[in-house]
Amino acid sequence: MHKTKLALALLLGLASVPAVAQDIKVGTIFPLSGGAGPDGQTVTNAVKLMVQQINDKGGLLGRKLTVISKDDESTPAVGVSRANEMVAEKADVVIEGWNSPVTLAMQPILARGNILDFTAVSKSDLILSGETNPYAMRINSSNGFDAEVIAKYVAQTMKAKKVAFLTQNDVYGNGFQTAVEAEFKKMNFSGEVIMTEKFAFKDTDFRVQLTNIKGANPDAVIVTSSSNSSGLPALVDQYRQAGIKSTFVGAVGIMLSTVYKVAGEANNGVISADIFFPDLPPFTTQPESVAFVAAYKKAYGVDPDKSAALGAAAVQVWAQAVEQTKSLDRKTVAEAIRGKPVKGTVFGDVQFLPNGQMQPRYVVFEVVDGKSTKLKALQ
Amino acid sequence: MNIAQQVINGIVLGSGYACIALGWTILLGVARLVNFAHGQLYMLGAFVSWYAITKLGLPYPLAILMAIIVLGVIGLLMQSAMMRLVMTQNLTSLMIVTLGLGYVLQGGSALIFGGNPQTLPGTLARAKIDIGPLWFTWQDVLVLVVTLLLYGAVWLFTQRTRFGSVIRAVAEDPKLAELFGINAKLVYLGVFVFECSAVALGAALVAPRSPILTSMGFNEVIMTFVVVVLGGIGSIGGALAAGLGLGLFTAFFGAFVAPAYTTAAAFALLLALLVIRPAGLATK
Amino acid sequence: MTAIESPQPASIPLLRLAAVAAFIVMGFLLPRLLGGTSVAYSTLTTIAIFAVMCYGADIVLSYLGEVSLGHTVFWAIGGYAAANLSVKYGLNGWATAAATIALCLAAATFLGAVTLRTREFVFSLVTYAAAVVAYEIAFNWDAVGGSDGVVGIPPLKLPLLLTNFSGAMQEDLWPIAFALLLLTLAFIARFRRSRLGTTALMVQMNPALAASLGVDPRRIRLAVFVISAPITGLAGWLYAYQRAYVGPDMFESYFLVMMLTAIVLVGRRILLGPLIGTALLIAQQNLLSLGGDWNKIVLGSVLALVLIFWPAGLVGLYRRITKKT
Repeated sequence: MHKTKLALALLLGLASVPAVAQDIKVGTIFPLSGGAGPDGQTVTNAVKLMVQQINDKGGLLGRKLTVISKDDESTPAVGVSRANEMVAEKADVVIEGWNSPVTLAMQPILARGNILDFTAVSKSDLILSGETNPYAMRINSSNGFDAEVIAKYVAQTMKAKKVAFLTQNDVYGNGFQTAVEAEFKKMNFSGEVIMTEKFAFKDTDFRVQLTNIKGANPDAVIVTSSSNSSGLPALVDQYRQAGIKSTFVGAVGIMLSTVYKVAGEANNGVISADIFFPDLPPFTTQPESVAFVAAYKKAYGVDPDKSAALGAAAVQVWAQAVEQTKSLDRKTVAEAIRGKPVKGTVFGDVQFLPNGQMQPRYVVFEVVDGKSTKLKALQ
Repeated sequence: MNIAQQVINGIVLGSGYACIALGWTILLGVARLVNFAHGQLYMLGAFVSWYAITKLGLPYPLAILMAIIVLGVIGLLMQSAMMRLVMTQNLTSLMIVTLGLGYVLQGGSALIFGGNPQTLPGTLARAKIDIGPLWFTWQDVLVLVVTLLLYGAVWLFTQRTRFGSVIRAVAEDPKLAELFGINAKLVYLGVFVFECSAVALGAALVAPRSPILTSMGFNEVIMTFVVVVLGGIGSIGGALAAGLGLGLFTAFFGAFVAPAYTTAAAFALLLALLVIRPAGLATK
Repeated sequence: MTAIESPQPASIPLLRLAAVAAFIVMGFLLPRLLGGTSVAYSTLTTIAIFAVMCYGADIVLSYLGEVSLGHTVFWAIGGYAAANLSVKYGLNGWATAAATIALCLAAATFLGAVTLRTREFVFSLVTYAAAVVAYEIAFNWDAVGGSDGVVGIPPLKLPLLLTNFSGAMQEDLWPIAFALLLLTLAFIARFRRSRLGTTALMVQMNPALAASLGVDPRRIRLAVFVISAPITGLAGWLYAYQRAYVGPDMFESYFLVMMLTAIVLVGRRILLGPLIGTALLIAQQNLLSLGGDWNKIVLGSVLALVLIFWPAGLVGLYRRITKKT
């Protein structure tokens, strides 16, 4: 009977394995396979690099760190299983989240397991609503503040009169558009929104929408898209092929490295904004960013993009709070971060809002040469 | 001018749908076999072409040929494995088996080709034609021409030669056909290999329009379900008309209603039509 | 398990009853036997929920011989009903479960009537088309959750007379999941011996005989399809409470493939088949996970190999081995 019990426990993977010499466990849950696999690997790599650097300096609270990395396969149900495993393995912190639905499904599991949880990338507003995790924290910028930057640029810097939206038809895309329109209203925008064209996340052919936009000939087209591996590069490409003269204004953070890699010079002239660049000021003058870019390049052979910086910053923010509080407790650490400033991250000195949102600095840029990812800062 | 461009968009989209749907039409309609791995075969066809062009340095036409051959061989293997189920007409099991094989192809391709998005260089997708304010690419022309030629050839083959009636006889009753001296297994193998090769050709032609990923397939061929059923399962002319019609529907629904809802609209249309005419449109 | 499977009629009903009772007690105490950790509870709760989900599709596959690709619709109806009614209107578990059953019956009656004349792959395609349309509705309709879904689902509350069952923790949810599983098993066992169950099998196996007996195959098909829907629906209902989040991902092929694999893996028309199949699949994914790509290959090849070589599932393989030796 006892043997069967043990065998059953082993079969279900429920037998608790004793912890190895009191290492602090840093868990990551990102998509490592499928369409978002390369993106998830980038973030995971950045986390591993930062953990390595902390270990090289003697670890945290006198203990070494180990990384447990898991694959959520971009599927919420799988993410839930992985989150449960993190609870079983008693991870001290989990850094997660490329897709919002996966994050939203994992948050309650981690919260119930009393595990400190940082969301690195997922953008949904619901993540910080407090419903899924009262101690939620997010590194990536939020739609609300993103919208302000883009609206200001289009209305005040470009002084556009006719604006069109090309919006991904989901909560992210529609939410961003609504926020931009609200900003327009707030700043008494003198121009008008003449057209809204929508598309689905999975679409790769945009000729129909682009034909409509070409006919309306707006000054600026504000584009949201989170499909950085296939939809967005296809869209940029077809935008150029259709011969549209309007300025392509990308929402904050959509121009990830895959877009440049796939669509190349079609990106030239695209205007967008983001919160991290390996080769633009002010990041080229911040010692923390410079050191991170150099170390990442040495370890993985390429420049880190914004996704990598998000993963790295999550580790930095967490490690600083642990050092400061001398504690790994979820509540203690989270309260030392939420609503507080954090100095010396790869994003520079940042402020966390009371709801857990990190407030980064934005840089508006224009793509000079998409092939070599050469950008020019505009503000 | 918008209308004219949308008509072009519709034909471009529609010829793509029809091109990818041809293999399915034959397989489903003539041989009454199902293949839910169709989407993954499309993905694999695109990646074999990509591999041939970028890694082996082959010119585009040879890459197409290579995709057709490789997928043909895979089709041969798949069908040989499933032969017992096919001969016993165990259609429910067949459906699930192809679903499983699709998963294997997807996982295997991700391991072989990696998860990064790729583009097919050296095709005609960048060769643009402008006529006044209207535009399309030579790749679009190629897709349309090849699709029309292929449908014509297949129509002639199935209607005007003995092979057509042989295939239909086998589909009707494989055991009975064998009594009449027809090698049913060979016929099934031939049809399945054709399906795989046809989807490889479709992939090599249509995939250059957008970036390719090993996780794709499902959304790229989802419209072919609609095309095959709307066209009246097995009707070759019907599938061509349904493909082009669906392309135009997509363009005009997108232009005047809401492009984000075209998939939903196409499937709702399909549901409605199936309620009225369960056998599809073209059959009487 | 052998007691339930035993083909002999209840000649020794007491012994049989005792065996079933022992099985139930063992099953109920299983998480405690496995260490009583919250992970043991959550894993077993997941297995119970997914197994119930599979039983709905199992009835259609095993007794109608049709592959329904639309059962994710009922699964999602359960999840969305539980999420929306509990979050927006504060309804308790009984009310959301009743709504789930009612909505599933309505949806299945509609879909069943639409697909009445379709067979085989056309049936599969139409059920699939229905799932695509339902997904698009759930994804785009913000009133039911939209693309981000519904968060903040409260713990399950099932007030009963004086007591108040509540599923705040995984440990509390287990008895409910286990009870739902037992109810489903009892229902399926009853269905197998019912007039409808046997007639459905006859229609599938020997349509000519059924016709000569004056059976209307369409009515049977509709009845079986409609009955299957609330089973999968109730699984989705409980899943919403377990996960505390419901989104359009409930339509994902992950669940569909899980259903089909769990059913065919062990063998069709075996009472405990889908349950064992689900347990094996979840165990593989959680314990022997080889990463997303390899998991796909494993799941896909298991599905293909089992059906190609042992169409009767693992039970068929077992029977063959025991016969040979």
